[in-house]
Amino acid sequence: MTRYRKQDPEITRRRFINAAMGTTATVGIVSLVGVLGTANPIFRLTRDKMPPVPGDILVHAEPSREGQLVKVSDLSEKLVRAWPQGKAEDGSPLIRKGDPNNVLCIFRFPKGQIVAPTVMEATIDSEIVAYSDICTHAGCSVANDDQNVGDMKCPCHSGQYDPKRGCKVIGGPPPRPLAQLPIKMDGDNLVVGDFFLEFPYPFLTEQEWQARITAVKSQLA
Amino acid sequence: MNQWLDERLNISRLNDKFLRKAFPVHHSFFLGEITLFSLIILIITGIVLALSYEPSNSLVVNSFDPGTTAKPNMLPAAYHSILKLNAMPFGDMLRRIHHWMANIMVAAAVIHMMRIYFTGAFKKPREINWWIGLLLLIFAALTAVTGYILPYDNYSYNTVKVVYGIAASIPWIGTWLAQAAFAGNFPGDGIIPRIYGYHIMLLPGILLALTGAHMLLMIKQKHTQPQYAKRLAYKKIVGVPLLTQQTPIMLMLTLLFAGIVILFAAFIPVHPSEFFGPPSTTPINNIKPDWYLLWVFGALAIIPSFEFDIFGGFIGSEFVGAILLPTVVIGVMFAVPMLDRSKDMNYYAENPTNHPVRLAIGTAFMAMLLVMSVAGYKPDLISANVLTTANANTVLWILLFAVPIATYFATIGIVRGIRSLREADERESMAHAAAADD
Repeated sequence: MTRYRKQDPEITRRRFINAAMGTTATVGIVSLVGVLGTANPIFRLTRDKMPPVPGDILVHAEPSREGQLVKVSDLSEKLVRAWPQGKAEDGSPLIRKGDPNNVLCIFRFPKGQIVAPTVMEATIDSEIVAYSDICTHAGCSVANDDQNVGDMKCPCHSGQYDPKRGCKVIGGPPPRPLAQLPIKMDGDNLVVGDFFLEFPYPFLTEQEWQARITAVKSQLA
Repeated sequence: MNQWLDERLNISRLNDKFLRKAFPVHHSFFLGEITLFSLIILIITGIVLALSYEPSNSLVVNSFDPGTTAKPNMLPAAYHSILKLNAMPFGDMLRRIHHWMANIMVAAAVIHMMRIYFTGAFKKPREINWWIGLLLLIFAALTAVTGYILPYDNYSYNTVKVVYGIAASIPWIGTWLAQAAFAGNFPGDGIIPRIYGYHIMLLPGILLALTGAHMLLMIKQKHTQPQYAKRLAYKKIVGVPLLTQQTPIMLMLTLLFAGIVILFAAFIPVHPSEFFGPPSTTPINNIKPDWYLLWVFGALAIIPSFEFDIFGGFIGSEFVGAILLPTVVIGVMFAVPMLDRSKDMNYYAENPTNHPVRLAIGTAFMAMLLVMSVAGYKPDLISANVLTTANANTVLWILLFAVPIATYFATIGIVRGIRSLREADERESMAHAAAADD
């Protein structure tokens, strides 16, 4: 051990090289992160990606009869999948399937079976009710329960919902009920009455969902 | 010619350094080799498949069933190219070989890893190779998942949707991360080109680099020696050299293995794209991931729903089941060499029964993953009336802990039994020897 250490007034070679390499590495990593930023394309809210908008007509989503109007006679205790169909800029019909999370399920139950917490004003005569068909757990399309007719079961992780009671979760891992969509009759057609009552998958908060509604409204206005 | 090459490339040094590498003679040492052969066959079949595959999810007219001009029949280009591939002579066969081989590669890697664990081959000085091996396993699984997304049929579509959801479930950065990884909001126009890039460039590149490192370290550090080597020549490397003794064995094994895989690829279809159909809103009933991810899937099925936010980040059951839990499991596996506190170098493969606790923890760990995989069949168990909706979670959660604990004690018990038998044997032979001496 030496008692005195020579104080070099200048920066040592080792320190200089370390600092230079550190700076280079930092600049390099930051620029790489910048490159990563380009990996994420900008999201453009086009009309086919908008969530169901008031006034949209409901059409079948099953591949065999996609685009056909949903009639009351098609509906039963088993779900019917539907897309909202709006209008393109030129006024021609446009199915909003650019976002697969827009798929809906529609049920028709005998009068009196649909109970709270379903929002009754959002149903048609307390008989026909529509929800988002996308499971709030991992975003799979929810199907009929094979054991209890009138219930729903997700084929991915067996989340279960009861469409007669506001699609509340009756089993499995989903964190929230499926969002209810207000619908009404317009002639023979089922028509969207308003935006989803709760935030649907993949939105995580009410704020995000309200921001999307505002964006849709401002773009359609 | 040898001399000509030797003068220029000094191949005799290569021969001394690498080609004379001694391979221990024991069947369990072929597991890693089988993994390597699968990787090679996967690369070859993958190159051939890439020649006919169209990496795009934009819609094209279905050339098999064009529909009418007013209402043409549109399909995603990737799915359409799979239909065309299937119609090619041996096209479907090629896909099946590739898919089966991927499954078998992961299986061989897992069994290889079990051999390493149970014989203590991960101990000093081979910790680094254990970690590289684990990375290989993780990247092999990622490559396999991106691989079965590529056909872009309804099954792939549902898979990638769930994978996207899992990526997006990471708190704070999830949404951005999922969009960056999968080219925008699901399903972005660039999702298939992106996954194609991962599957044929990024991930195989990582796999090959790691495989190279794995091999070089193995040559540098030598194989652990089987027990017979200790008796034969203590502290000496025993085995057959790579060239020319091990090479024909390896070639024969590759050909035999490839033959077997091709045989059952011919008879057992895997991932029937035409049956699943193009991406659609109709889900596939009781969809399951491939077997090596079934445990994550099962965990997702039995973790109850919850959701809370900390500082604006959402932590839900999906994040806990699909990100946090696998991280913990993989972390435990990473920690295995660090839990061993012996300072000595380990040269010889250990007899698993001499380390009952390590053996029992290993079997209990596998039993736990197995119960989680069974939990992946929860919907099927409920449909088959084995369990009911009400009791399924309770039963599976109890099994999740009861089965590993039972396995642990059963293993300890069996090891004790084996030991007492062995000791009895030894006493008997000693007695015989003593009797013979008299």
